[in-house]
Amino acid sequence: MGVVEEAHNVKLVGSGDQTIVLAHGFGTDQSVWKHLVPHLVDDYRVILFDNMGAGTTNPDYFDFERYSTLEGYAYDVIAILEELRVKSCIFVGHSVSAMIGAIASITRPDLVTKLVTVSASPRYLNDANYYGGFEKEDIQQLFEAMQSNYKAWCDGFAPLVVGGDMESVAVQEFSRTLFNMRPDIALSVAQTIFQSDMRHLLCHVTIPCHIIQSMKDLAVPIVISEYLHQNFGGKSIVEVMQTDGHLPQLSSPDVVIPILLKHIRYSIAT
Amino acid sequence: MLSSPGQLSTLSMPKPSAVVPLPNRNMYLNPRLQQGDTGQIGNQRNEEVKKVMDILVRAKKRNPVLVEDSEPGAVVKELLRKLENKELGLEGPLSNVQAISVEKDFLLDRNQIPTKIKELGGIIQSRIKSGGIILDLGDLKWLVEQPVGFGGVQQQQVVSEMGRAAVVEMAKLVARYGGEGSNGDHKLWLIGTATCETYLRCQVYHSTMENDWDLQAVPIASRSPLPGMFPRLGTERILSTPIDSLTSLKSVSIRQPVLTQCCSENLDTAQRTTFCPSCSENYKKEVAKLEAIEKSFSEAKPEATRPSLPQWLQNAKLYSRDAFATDESQDKDQSMLSKQKTQELQKKWRDTCLHLHPDFHRNICSDRTAPTATLSMTSLKNQTLLAHQPFQPKLQTSKPLGESLQLNTNQVTSHPAGGPPGSPVRTDLVLGRKGTESTPKKTTEDHIQDSISSEPQTKFPDKFASALDSDSYKKLLKGLMAEAWWQAEAASAVASAITQCRLGNGKRRGAGSRGDIWLLFTGPDKVAKKKMASVLAEQICGASPMLTCLSSRRDDEESDVNFRGKTVIDRIAEAVRRNPFSVIMLEDIDEADMLVHGCIKRAMERGRLTDTHGREVSLGNTIFILTGDWSTANPKDAHLVDEKKLATIASGNCQLGLVVKEKSAKRQGNWFSDEDRATKPRIEVGSGLLLDLNLAADNEDEIDISNNSSDLTIDHEDVLGLENTHLSITSVPHELVSNVDDSIAFKPVDLTFVCREIKKTISVKFSMVIDDNVPIKVEDDVIETILGGLWHDRTSLQEWIEKVLVPGFYELKTCLPSVGGSSKVVWLVIDSESSPRGNGDWLPSRITVKG
Repeated sequence: MGVVEEAHNVKLVGSGDQTIVLAHGFGTDQSVWKHLVPHLVDDYRVILFDNMGAGTTNPDYFDFERYSTLEGYAYDVIAILEELRVKSCIFVGHSVSAMIGAIASITRPDLVTKLVTVSASPRYLNDANYYGGFEKEDIQQLFEAMQSNYKAWCDGFAPLVVGGDMESVAVQEFSRTLFNMRPDIALSVAQTIFQSDMRHLLCHVTIPCHIIQSMKDLAVPIVISEYLHQNFGGKSIVEVMQTDGHLPQLSSPDVVIPILLKHIRYSIAT
Repeated sequence: MLSSPGQLSTLSMPKPSAVVPLPNRNMYLNPRLQQGDTGQIGNQRNEEVKKVMDILVRAKKRNPVLVEDSEPGAVVKELLRKLENKELGLEGPLSNVQAISVEKDFLLDRNQIPTKIKELGGIIQSRIKSGGIILDLGDLKWLVEQPVGFGGVQQQQVVSEMGRAAVVEMAKLVARYGGEGSNGDHKLWLIGTATCETYLRCQVYHSTMENDWDLQAVPIASRSPLPGMFPRLGTERILSTPIDSLTSLKSVSIRQPVLTQCCSENLDTAQRTTFCPSCSENYKKEVAKLEAIEKSFSEAKPEATRPSLPQWLQNAKLYSRDAFATDESQDKDQSMLSKQKTQELQKKWRDTCLHLHPDFHRNICSDRTAPTATLSMTSLKNQTLLAHQPFQPKLQTSKPLGESLQLNTNQVTSHPAGGPPGSPVRTDLVLGRKGTESTPKKTTEDHIQDSISSEPQTKFPDKFASALDSDSYKKLLKGLMAEAWWQAEAASAVASAITQCRLGNGKRRGAGSRGDIWLLFTGPDKVAKKKMASVLAEQICGASPMLTCLSSRRDDEESDVNFRGKTVIDRIAEAVRRNPFSVIMLEDIDEADMLVHGCIKRAMERGRLTDTHGREVSLGNTIFILTGDWSTANPKDAHLVDEKKLATIASGNCQLGLVVKEKSAKRQGNWFSDEDRATKPRIEVGSGLLLDLNLAADNEDEIDISNNSSDLTIDHEDVLGLENTHLSITSVPHELVSNVDDSIAFKPVDLTFVCREIKKTISVKFSMVIDDNVPIKVEDDVIETILGGLWHDRTSLQEWIEKVLVPGFYELKTCLPSVGGSSKVVWLVIDSESSPRGNGDWLPSRITVKG
């Protein structure tokens, strides 16, 4: 096991001609895909990994400078693919990882053949001509809350993001992985995510993109999926699911998994 | 420095791909990882290497065996690599050593091992001159385990023979080169790894080994990602070989789950009694749902279970029976998992129930001891189920849970779950809402709806601190009921919400003392919402409410000239500034644009409203009523059609007249007498009403469903649930509901009920004024006219009857012949001949009487 694999807790499961990379978003780790993976292992080779900074990774490896932009994460993805000698893959990215996958596909178009984005947003802040869902002051408050009491913030943030109450399994699961992160790292990651602006890069994404989005998502307004659809450089398709929350694959797997499988299996018709 | 002597291989590597990467081979690599192996793998491993080094330089017990379950060999590998690269900078005996790995050779042919060790002696002899030698024995399981697939007692005999011989031979080597040898330096070391189990076996089968080989066991802690939180066993397990990891799993993890299980069982029995019947019903539904989900996953791909999947992945599905014997422990883990889930559900419903039915819990308190005894029995049974059927998956274990709950509820249903019977306030309330109780609909109503609707009666009056509060509550409720009597439940909910908020008990209020109240009216009945808003405004502020429509398709008639050219938010801000004691109704918040939405949300949170100029206005004591439909699109359309229809009817030229006729057909007479029996409710589906009642009746069911899913007093969780996901579009936004003081659901208008009520009120009034023996017949189109008028006019039905109808009755009374009244029938009909009614009034203002 190489250093990269070890550092990212890379797991290779299943077998098949095609390789699928499952990338998790902020505040989670690879276990966010636990409902999906069993359905893939028979037909695909599945690569699971943890983004640096997730609670399951060694905090010593978290280079605050490297991970102050999404590019750092994208390089990690490419490093993993190189390490595993993957020639091409389907990249399924949730939340911020969707954009990481987009960057990776721009950097190395040969590596990623298809991008499946779940709850993705190129920009979270509102703008004159753009609705991202967050005002600057909202974000500032969020950062302050994270700094002042991380545990309390987790408890409040998790139900909002998942879209259920504190008692539900999905919320518990998310708050667990969220709280697993070291607070200063979590803050840094959140800042990177909320300050990232991928809009100008979208046109360079030339691979086919499948945009999957929850009907109601606190972090990503529904208009974003349309925005992505309009601005991706390549072909793209949008599917809005009748689900609630930012982590639909965790909170309503029964709806999401068939849709995800469909988008993984089939390509956009020409 | 590493050399491979003859048939002996160098350090064994698990995988060819795992060769230590050269720096910069991967240009995308995290720079911190590149330094990785030298010092960054974590302090833990470094410390362990150091520990092993310390043992190596000792005089006695200097041959380390690393006992670890997770990553056998990792530390040894690290150590040997460091020795090879001379990274440790040691002086003395270890400064110049070679490593010889023997594990691979030994594994090739076990029976030859003793011979090989003898050969090894020769090699060591020849090479020991140049420096020390470390014999890497690898995993010691070759000493104690037979090769797989041979089996049988004899084979085992042979193997242990071999093991004994190997121990003897190795002991000779150690004695020859390892001891205080010729020049005093230690020249030969052994190093090996073993799992806990292997090491114990070594001690049992080869009792002399530890001494003869001069071994020192070094326990290595497994590296869990975060101490304390959630030791993720799976992440390490996957690294080792399958057999190894699973055997170790067996020895360690079985006992622990059982223990915790016992504890949770006990906890269960203590807490399980706290459900009321309706909540336990809901709980059971959710358990079933949970089971269904898990089942669907496990059934989807049962064959997909592979030993190579990490444990957390296996948890998500069913293992197959033909896997292997260690499934037992996994099974326990799984059943634990599902148990946790059911417990979680249970806890949720317990809380919900406690919240919704406080009376029930008061009652149950005294009865708690009895059920506990029986329940502990069932839980015992539950546990034996677990123990005896290790191959029954989690689905089985959660069922008994549900059953025992059933048992529990049976015991408690005998208690009145509704509330204490002797509450004096309750009778008052029941009088006020008698209308609803006589509806046939009530009986067929959904169980949940029922439990909710009965809730305000029992719950809120109990909470009112003084008689004064309940007085204001009653007054408010009376006013609301007079105007919008067809929304009895909503009326009582509004009244209690307002009273609660006025007392400072609003849901939103923490410590702050804010005067503004936010209510959310959901559901399709716009008319009732408006009427209630006016009642609130009149009773609380003594003025009419300010109505603002937030949706883009604004009704022209309502737009105020003064507000033209201003944004909605500015208008609201101005209204608040002008009168901080007002009722402001913001209609169709569900259709408001994001900007308005966000603005209102912030206002709710902060108690101040910021207008477009950035000026802030304190909300004072304003009562805000947000309305929205949030029901499915289809019935809404149908409802709009209804309202438009009513509007056209009402705007038509219609005066009412009273006509006296002779009683004619017998059948009709029966019909009338039926009509008089007010207690027997009739469903007039086919009574020729022009309004499409069938349509309304059809839609009703649908709307009810959507109301349930959006009614947050029941459970928001439902929205996420299986059946309701397709309806989630209709759910009320979470941030709205969580921010308002209370949200009140309005049911769709039941036209049949409304029409019957109107008829009934008229005939009761008529019989009071004139005579019990003279029936009054009201034509259906008349009802429609009245209904249309009611819908748009500010006057209530009672007011109109008193003002318009009753004088007509008195006028009629004078012309009605006093004798032979029983043969006469009075008709209330549309009088098309009289002059058009005065403008402004929707309801007919006069009644012509024709004797």
